[in-house]
Amino acid sequence: MSVHYTEQPARPLAPVQDVPFHQWAFPDGTLWTQFFRQGAGYLLRFPDLADFEVSADGARVQGYPAPGVTSATVEHLYLNQVLPLALSRQGKLVLHGSAVDIGGQGVAFLGESGRGKSTLAASFATEGTRFLTDDGLLLEWVGDACAIIPSHPSIRLWQDSEDALMNPDAATAPAVSFTSKSRFLAGQGIPFCDESRPLHRVFFLGDGASETPTIEALRPAEALIELVKHSFLLDIEAREMLMRHFDDLTRLAALPIYFRLDYPRDYEALGAVREAIVRHALDPHQARPQEPA
Amino acid sequence: MNLSDKVTIPTQVMARTVGDETVILDLASGTYYGLDPVGARMWQLMNEGQPLAAVCETMLDEYEVTREALEGDILRLTEELRAKGLVSLA
Repeated sequence: MSVHYTEQPARPLAPVQDVPFHQWAFPDGTLWTQFFRQGAGYLLRFPDLADFEVSADGARVQGYPAPGVTSATVEHLYLNQVLPLALSRQGKLVLHGSAVDIGGQGVAFLGESGRGKSTLAASFATEGTRFLTDDGLLLEWVGDACAIIPSHPSIRLWQDSEDALMNPDAATAPAVSFTSKSRFLAGQGIPFCDESRPLHRVFFLGDGASETPTIEALRPAEALIELVKHSFLLDIEAREMLMRHFDDLTRLAALPIYFRLDYPRDYEALGAVREAIVRHALDPHQARPQEPA
Repeated sequence: MNLSDKVTIPTQVMARTVGDETVILDLASGTYYGLDPVGARMWQLMNEGQPLAAVCETMLDEYEVTREALEGDILRLTEELRAKGLVSLA
């Protein structure tokens, strides 16, 4: 990845005079990330955890842990939150999604936090299907086709998914202090695909209301709206970049590859979900007819 | 709000056409709005900085519709977009 990252010594997270131009909060209102302008670049603050300084072009990032916060935590924040944002500043297309390699084709799962993206990717991986990313889905156009670029070879899981899916011997990275998610490194039992794969299917994960695995095609406008919702964007005020991003998403939305996938959130049912996905991904008749340009 | 108003589009709001639908999006908030081709034409004319009355005049030449119905449609669409933060009154 084309971002140069360095971790600096810990420092207190000093009050910032400016008002953040954007922020992310959890559904309960707890602040997760604040976005400040700092000179021509950006300061991303994860309260009580770390600051990250991102250069204006998104090419360089410096991480500053708060006193007492481990390197593992800061690296984790960097890989999962800051790196996708920095890449977005470089004009790259990064979405909240996981992806696996099914028969040489990239199959992506997009959804809000908690919808099961990582669990689904891990479920495939523990059954021998290589994963490309567990979040931070990086896409690149190659001519008229779009490809998934592999990201960090690790998968983060909540404890319940870990208990259900993982072999106790699977290698884990050091624990991080802000989440009960464990991060599993690729290796034996969790195969990783380190080459790009054509983007073949995108499944938007539903809320689990469905009693059996169901797959429905999306209209291009619906797909566009979903793609926007799942985008990583560092600077929501940089109009030219936003326009380019929106153009990219519009081009992407015209591909006949979008489906809504819902299934009961029951670990016992994951085998049937995987089967339905594989069958769908390998069936040439399932592709939606291409929209006229 | 009345027909002498003009609307402005916030920086982070933009529209694109995909398939036969037009989608207006606020990239910052994720708010979106789908438009049919008639709505898309209203949006395009509003975007040119004309007062709503001028939008109405232009569209009366283009569509078979009564002035009363079209004025109502324009005001209703503008109000819905304003409520969603996708336009503001100039």
